[in-house]
Amino acid sequence: MQQTESQYKRPKETRRSVLIADKVADKTITIGGALVIAAVLGMMVFLVLKVVPLFEGGAVQSHREYSLEMPGSRTLALAIDDLKTIAVRVSEDGRITAWHVDSGSPLESPRFDLQGKQVTAFSQCIDQRHMAFGFFDGSVRFASVQFKTEILTPEGLPAGLKELSAGDKSDGRAIYSIIPGNQVRKTWIEVELEEPIQASASNSPIIALDYRLKHFGERPSKTLAAIDRQLVGVAMRVESKLNLFTRKTTLAVDKAELPALPAGTAVTHALVDEGANSVYFVDKSGTVYRFNTRGLEEPFLAEVLRVTPSGVDVNVFSFLVGESSIVVGGSDGSVNIFFLLNRPDAAAQDSLTLVKTRTFAPQPAAIVGFSPSEQSKTFATLDASGGIRVRHATSERTLVSVRESGMPRSDLAGMIVLAPRVDGLLALGNPITADFWGLSIPHPETSLRTLFGKVWYEGYPEPTYTWQSTGATEAFEPKISLVPLIFGTLKATFYSLLFAIPVALLAAIYTSEFLDPDLRGKIKPAIEVMASIPSVVLGFVAALVLAPVVETWIAAVLLVFVVVPMSLVLAAYLWQLVPPPIALRMEGIPKFLFMLSVVCLAMFTAYHVGPVFEDLFFDGNFKAWLNRDRGAAAPFWFLALLPVSAVAVSTGLSRLFGQRFNRYIRTLQPFPAALADLGRWLAVAGGTLAASYIMALVLQGIGIDPRSSVVGTYVQRNTLVVGFAMGFAVIPIIYTLADDALNSVPDHLRSASLGCGATIWQTTIWVILPTAISGVFSAVMIGMGRAVGETMILVMSAGNTPLLDLNIFNGLRALSANIAVELPEAPKDDTLYRVLFLTGLVLFAMTFVINTIAEMVRLHFRKRSMQL
Amino acid sequence: MKSDPHRAVTLPLLLKKEEPAPVLPTDHTGQDAGPVVPPAESVGKELSRMQIERRRSTAWDFRARGEPFVWGLGGALAVGIIMILGFIALVVYNGIMTFYPQPLEVVSLRGGGTVAGELARVESFRPGPDILQQLPEDIRARIGNDKGFARRFLYRTGNYDLYNEDFRWVPEYDVVKRSTPKELYFFERLEWGPFIGTIKSIDLKDVVVDGAALKTGTLNEAMDQAAARRSRIRQLERNEMGKINHYLERGRLALKKVEMTHGEHSPQYRQAQREYREAAAKLEAQHAELSKEAQLIKDQDSKFTVTLADVEGKEKTLKLSEIVRFYPANSLTFTDKLRIYFSRWWEFLSQEPREANTEGGVMPAIFGTFCMTVLLALAVAPFGVVAALYLREYAKQGKLVSLVRVCVNNLAGVPSIVYGVFGLGFFAYVLGGSIDALLFPERLPNPTYGTGGLLWASLTLALLTVPVVIVATEEALAAVPQSMREGSLACGASKWQTIKYIVLPRAMPGIMTGLILAMARGAGEVAPLMLVGVVKLAPELPIDSIFPYIHLERSFMHLGFHIYDVGFQSRNSEAARPMVYVTTFLLISLVFALNAASIMIRNRLKKKFFGGHF
Repeated sequence: MQQTESQYKRPKETRRSVLIADKVADKTITIGGALVIAAVLGMMVFLVLKVVPLFEGGAVQSHREYSLEMPGSRTLALAIDDLKTIAVRVSEDGRITAWHVDSGSPLESPRFDLQGKQVTAFSQCIDQRHMAFGFFDGSVRFASVQFKTEILTPEGLPAGLKELSAGDKSDGRAIYSIIPGNQVRKTWIEVELEEPIQASASNSPIIALDYRLKHFGERPSKTLAAIDRQLVGVAMRVESKLNLFTRKTTLAVDKAELPALPAGTAVTHALVDEGANSVYFVDKSGTVYRFNTRGLEEPFLAEVLRVTPSGVDVNVFSFLVGESSIVVGGSDGSVNIFFLLNRPDAAAQDSLTLVKTRTFAPQPAAIVGFSPSEQSKTFATLDASGGIRVRHATSERTLVSVRESGMPRSDLAGMIVLAPRVDGLLALGNPITADFWGLSIPHPETSLRTLFGKVWYEGYPEPTYTWQSTGATEAFEPKISLVPLIFGTLKATFYSLLFAIPVALLAAIYTSEFLDPDLRGKIKPAIEVMASIPSVVLGFVAALVLAPVVETWIAAVLLVFVVVPMSLVLAAYLWQLVPPPIALRMEGIPKFLFMLSVVCLAMFTAYHVGPVFEDLFFDGNFKAWLNRDRGAAAPFWFLALLPVSAVAVSTGLSRLFGQRFNRYIRTLQPFPAALADLGRWLAVAGGTLAASYIMALVLQGIGIDPRSSVVGTYVQRNTLVVGFAMGFAVIPIIYTLADDALNSVPDHLRSASLGCGATIWQTTIWVILPTAISGVFSAVMIGMGRAVGETMILVMSAGNTPLLDLNIFNGLRALSANIAVELPEAPKDDTLYRVLFLTGLVLFAMTFVINTIAEMVRLHFRKRSMQL
Repeated sequence: MKSDPHRAVTLPLLLKKEEPAPVLPTDHTGQDAGPVVPPAESVGKELSRMQIERRRSTAWDFRARGEPFVWGLGGALAVGIIMILGFIALVVYNGIMTFYPQPLEVVSLRGGGTVAGELARVESFRPGPDILQQLPEDIRARIGNDKGFARRFLYRTGNYDLYNEDFRWVPEYDVVKRSTPKELYFFERLEWGPFIGTIKSIDLKDVVVDGAALKTGTLNEAMDQAAARRSRIRQLERNEMGKINHYLERGRLALKKVEMTHGEHSPQYRQAQREYREAAAKLEAQHAELSKEAQLIKDQDSKFTVTLADVEGKEKTLKLSEIVRFYPANSLTFTDKLRIYFSRWWEFLSQEPREANTEGGVMPAIFGTFCMTVLLALAVAPFGVVAALYLREYAKQGKLVSLVRVCVNNLAGVPSIVYGVFGLGFFAYVLGGSIDALLFPERLPNPTYGTGGLLWASLTLALLTVPVVIVATEEALAAVPQSMREGSLACGASKWQTIKYIVLPRAMPGIMTGLILAMARGAGEVAPLMLVGVVKLAPELPIDSIFPYIHLERSFMHLGFHIYDVGFQSRNSEAARPMVYVTTFLLISLVFALNAASIMIRNRLKKKFFGGHF
């Protein structure tokens, strides 16, 4: 009684702790769950964010404008140091003006003592530091303006410095900049003028000059091309040697006088490459005279051609870094790049010719100024109406339009210079005003065209899709076409699925419909566990075990693909000969064991017959056959056409004789009927062989050879091996999912079909498979998604050669493998780094599309099978 | 349709174009399942041809049986099984047999010279025409008989320091005589790989013993002493001196931090500097003492040497402590062999790698894999379960949630390398970079967390496997009958109580399975790790005796990457191959064990929760 009372009076409120726990759990799970999902989906956003900067050109970050007091005559050259601290101008009288870039305040600077001689030609190297003067008397002097830096501690600062701008101070001669790490960098300039060298034999004034400097270890080698008023050109190589004892430098001059140009040529530009192999002189009207000066021994005029349309003058004719691209700027505002390419059919004597390969968006007025970058293929152009554009040679993009054209400023002197790290641009006006723009161009070489299109790279005879992201020198042009990588991924996927889909699907159908349930309960989990084999293991086995074996036994391996199906079918026809009661008793595990042994036997046979087969078909050496060293195309066509002709012959024969034969066979006793059926199959097989042989002969007769397209030179780590290993990775996935799909077909359908008298085979093919087909399709798609993203197998066994080659016996480089190989080496936020992120995004997109299709098909399938 | 007297015959034939019309024979003996089998006896001779035609027995309509197709299906399964068995046999055989001591063969060659070594492989090859040219007539004829094939043996000859090769191919036709002399020893050394040869003499600190007169006891005793010295030197140099270096570095960094926060001229900095100098002086004194002791032992050690000679008589003198293991390969009893076999396994599992990872053990890799997998599980379990609970129990079921579900399913199929890219870009560079800037400014520009490391690798793999856990948990939650939830709620339990006491326990088998599968996938995944912190050789383990004991920022070694590195990046892939096989065996066993565990746990929990109740 007491107890009931107390029970009755129990408070009916929920305890506070329960309420609080409920609230807390509610909030935690809601917020946490949403966050986890957002984080997982945020991955995609992050990848996109990392990739976007690739497609942003450049931007002007700052602009300074100041006027300078610059005495004297015409400006010859401008230069800026690496860190944009000091700018330098060299004028015609040899005077040097230097100023602080940020503020424009002048610095004391030395001058070149040209001894009052008149400068008639001038050339500046691509590093902006080295220059050459050509004089009225036919002599040439080399000079240099060096920017020197030194790191000091704050204690080492001299007293009495003038503050120029935030962080920069000056004592009138050098700039002291405060840099991170509590240190000070001192920057100043030093100049050097060398002794004159006589370039013109006739002491005539030099009218055009080009100077290249190559540092070959410690010894600089200077190359010079000059032409005098007599139109006699000269190519020289000057090497200075330092005598270690006397500390005196001696000059070794290698010189070749060139044949004179036709009279009346108004030469405005000269150009020579570092190796002094070619010398170009350009007439004002656009005619280029190219001399072949290889070895400086027997120079000859190799080619004369126009590089601009008639009526258009050439205002710029200059190399980009690497000396493969010649930039030609015309008086019509056009900017083009020419390559000197090997063309055997060219009119030139040395079978080289200048080819226009790249065209840039023209500027509205004549191009008057040009400045290349020393570190990349970026350059800037200035037009007569003051427009300045920064462009990139490979991507043919205008990265920044620093100043719009069409501002007619009388003060333009046509002088611009890019800062060495392409992070600034200086333009000098006349009277002396200067503009300095700070630039930010992080990824000049990327555009949709360089990433996905055909690009005509330096030194290539034609536009290509190429991936070659890093090179040894700064003159290297990065080639970042993703096309070979995407092709590699697709190729690997295709061949692996070609192997995996038949094996996995057929095996799944057998497991689900024919296999003994006990055995099925053992085999299926075993194959499921195989799906979790680490792919690094498969890659190792493929590359170090399988690849050498396949290479040695290539003929036998090819034979397996013919022998195994053939022997299975033959075995089936022989099985029909077995008296039905015995066959019925053997149904199930024993029959499967027979199948297993047939496959083993077929493989064993292929292994033994391999060499014979190789002798018979490929003249005893398959690899030599692939190299076209021996043999004809017919044997390969014969093998390749076997499936086609098998289908053709069997359908043809059944159309013609099928009904009659079936009617006949029904009249027979089981054993003779089975014999007749075997006979029919043998006839079909014979017909197939004959048809295939005839077709192969025809194809060979027409002259179609599969070599160097779908098959070709054998490489040990090739697509066949990759397809096999990746098939191994994909088979368990397709198999499991397809088996599940087939199994989820409701049993009443199966029973109904069997109850109507259909055989299991008929039920499978006409009832089960059509019902489950979308589930099976989804299984294939998911397998494909896995194949696309597979990495380690490809890294290890695909050879990693980024080629656009259909050849199954060649290697490939896939998107995923490329990331794994190159990303660890890529500097953070570099172009390559971002391009690899883009690669990841492409891979992500590919698998996402494939998986979404699979998922949608799967949901559809689920809905449909629920209704059944 | 026109009436046709022969309709009964032609109709099925017409139908066959669309689909075969199976017609039951009246005398069909089969039941509902099983193939339709001709009733052989009943189809007797008494039936006339007409009768047969009318009844159209499918008995020998072979097309309905589809025998060739069925054999094709079965053949595909057979191919799959053969592939899998072959693969497992290859890995297991090589993994188990690698450490078993092999006999040493001495081969006299036709052109003079001898080769001694373990027989590694035999294969057929095709000698090129220029080689054939130089062979004597009879051998050429024999090769010609074998269709141009000849056999060759690959011998592991060792003695890399003498001949610059570990392995040597010997064609069968070059072999004059093969023998297995008893006095040949196999030495495993710390450097240069194995040495194969005989003991010439042994120098035990002035006592020189000739090889012939040597007693096994003396040698073993000397070897034990040498091993003790080796481990003492190692203990001194690696552990004790390493620890001192570590403390010195830490002091320097702490000082730098004080400098950065208070400035160079502040009194705090001066104070700290003084303390640092005192501590450093003390540590350096300890260091000097230890290195003196180490030097002493080393001097002592260099007096115990052994002189070996290879089969061609070249001699080589080694310190005894440089020899890890030695045995007379051709006079071993079965127990000796087993002892060596297990001692090698023990070395493999418990030691650090030597010789660019091609010898020694893989303990750091095992440890790294273990740490990473545990961290991965710790990260993935709560997140995955919480996300699945949210999706299934809390979120409003609608278009949006099913879209999210499709996305999550999709993410399970995104390539692992993409997760690696994300892990490097986001975890290491963005998150790690921020942590460095906030917490470890004194170490910059050397990154602490701002580069790949154990933590980031685990998180990346957690992200990779979280969809697996979400999907598995969701399925498990969905499988809990709605009626149980309703019952619980009707009894007055709150939502959280229902989830905690009713739903989660019943979903536990599914969740555990998902988690273990995620661990198995994470343990075997290599591609993303290559980007976020795996290295070929980690000098320090992620857990050690130096405060704070667990170093999540350290890069680590991993079994899967070890396979890649040793198999593909090492000097001689042939020499590394045994190591790769054993590592592969280990990794596969680990992954299979995890899978088996998941199956077992699922079964046990299923029994526990569903066994008696329903």
